[in-house]
Amino acid sequence: MYLVADIDVDICAQTSCKLCTQFCPEANTILYNNEIGKDKGYKYGAAYVAVDRCKGCAQCVWVCDNMAKHHAIKMIMIDQLPKAAITDNVTYGEKTTTAVLASPMVG
Amino acid sequence: MSLDYVKFAPGFEKFMPKEYRDMVEHGPFGKKTTVSQMGSFKEILEEHPMCAGCAMTLFIRLAMISFPNPEDTITVGTAGCGRLAISQAAIPFVYGNYGDQNGVASGLSRGLRLRFGDKPKDVVVMAGDGGTADIGFAQTLHSWIRKEKFTTIMLDNEVYGNTGGQESGMTSQGAVLKMAPLGKKFEKMDMVGMAKVAGCVYVATVVPNNPRRVEAVIKKAVLIAREVGPTYIQAYTSCNIEYAIPTDKVMEDAKNVEDNRYKFSEYISEEAKQYLAERYGYKEFLPKPAAAVTQA
Ligand SMILES: Cc1ncc(C[n+]2csc(CCOP(=O)(O)OP(=O)(O)O)c2C)c(N)n1
Ligand code: SF4
Ligand code: SF4
Ligand code: SF4
Repeated sequence: MYLVADIDVDICAQTSCKLCTQFCPEANTILYNNEIGKDKGYKYGAAYVAVDRCKGCAQCVWVCDNMAKHHAIKMIMIDQLPKAAITDNVTYGEKTTTAVLASPMVG
Repeated sequence: MSLDYVKFAPGFEKFMPKEYRDMVEHGPFGKKTTVSQMGSFKEILEEHPMCAGCAMTLFIRLAMISFPNPEDTITVGTAGCGRLAISQAAIPFVYGNYGDQNGVASGLSRGLRLRFGDKPKDVVVMAGDGGTADIGFAQTLHSWIRKEKFTTIMLDNEVYGNTGGQESGMTSQGAVLKMAPLGKKFEKMDMVGMAKVAGCVYVATVVPNNPRRVEAVIKKAVLIAREVGPTYIQAYTSCNIEYAIPTDKVMEDAKNVEDNRYKFSEYISEEAKQYLAERYGYKEFLPKPAAAVTQA
């Protein structure tokens, strides 16, 4: 098993400051969905991680903790994530993306 | 080399992988995508085998987003870590033998000008510090002295990362590395000074902990190289493996190094300033109104 980044939507959606993805070394990995959290009254959407592309470096954790000061990202063992975004289930739209969450475990 | 080369051949669309379809439909080609839109469009860089948390990877990712016209850009690289990612992007990549990259780019950029005339085709070299300042030193300097119009980016991780930690001319004095156990005896080479002496019209040093600055620097360097002359960017892109930086501290290291010895610097010739102002509307380089000049 290995660690991947997991974003707490309730914390992130308060600002969705969009900082973490600018520091993730991997392309197309931390993505934004402008609709997440709107049902709970948040306005800006939130970030999520396409876990199949995440290499577990935790750079985003440092950025969210120390630069954004929001503490929304934790590293978590991939088998502890019941459902997650994976590239195959991500749809790109106009200035936003959506993901149908699925089990990240194969087999 | 145009928007056509990324489109699907008729009838093949449904057979293309998802990543490719996403890139054609929601990638940056033909649009102006920026660093602040990251995470909401499909990037042209794909998965690659560079190490987790590598700052060089981040820099390459930012560079790919910052190219002014990705559909009209060719990258040139060489042996070293960076090519492992640069070659995995949806823009043509030419691999020069180790150290040959600026020679290859010279021919390429001249050939593109012959073939396409005034239509800009951007050539961007991205190579390690060893490739640029040691093995490729002569070719790098000579391309600048010949005023070859393309951009050279040094991915300066201050070590030969790909071959396990030998010192390079760009390693700091005293640094101890796996394959330099006695510590580096000589000073870090002043490639920025040499770039200016050799005739580069734009020279900048950056660290990737400021993504928007990386974007601004790359845009300027690529645009200026279209018509004015050679441009050079030297980017601190730490090797977390050879310098044993924990991956979650890579940005902290970048910030410390930037504060202490890798400050942002930018040199831009008067001709290049005028070109950016007139051709691309850079307001900061517009001539000052006469009143402001007399007051100053
Ligand atoms: C002509 C030649 N000599 C030596 C090598 C072996 N070689 C491959 S990568 C490399 C060092 C790369 O160091 P650098 O250019 O600093 O890039 P980095 O891997 O640190 O990004 C060497 C010596 C080679 N591929 N070709
Ligand atoms: S840095 Fe933190 S708060 Fe900002 S978008 Fe990323 S996860 Fe959300
Ligand atoms: S852990 Fe690293 S690779 Fe994974 S999302 Fe965070 S910054 Fe990106
Ligand atoms: S060896 Fe160093 S420079 Fe090369 S990919 Fe790994 S961390 Fe990056």
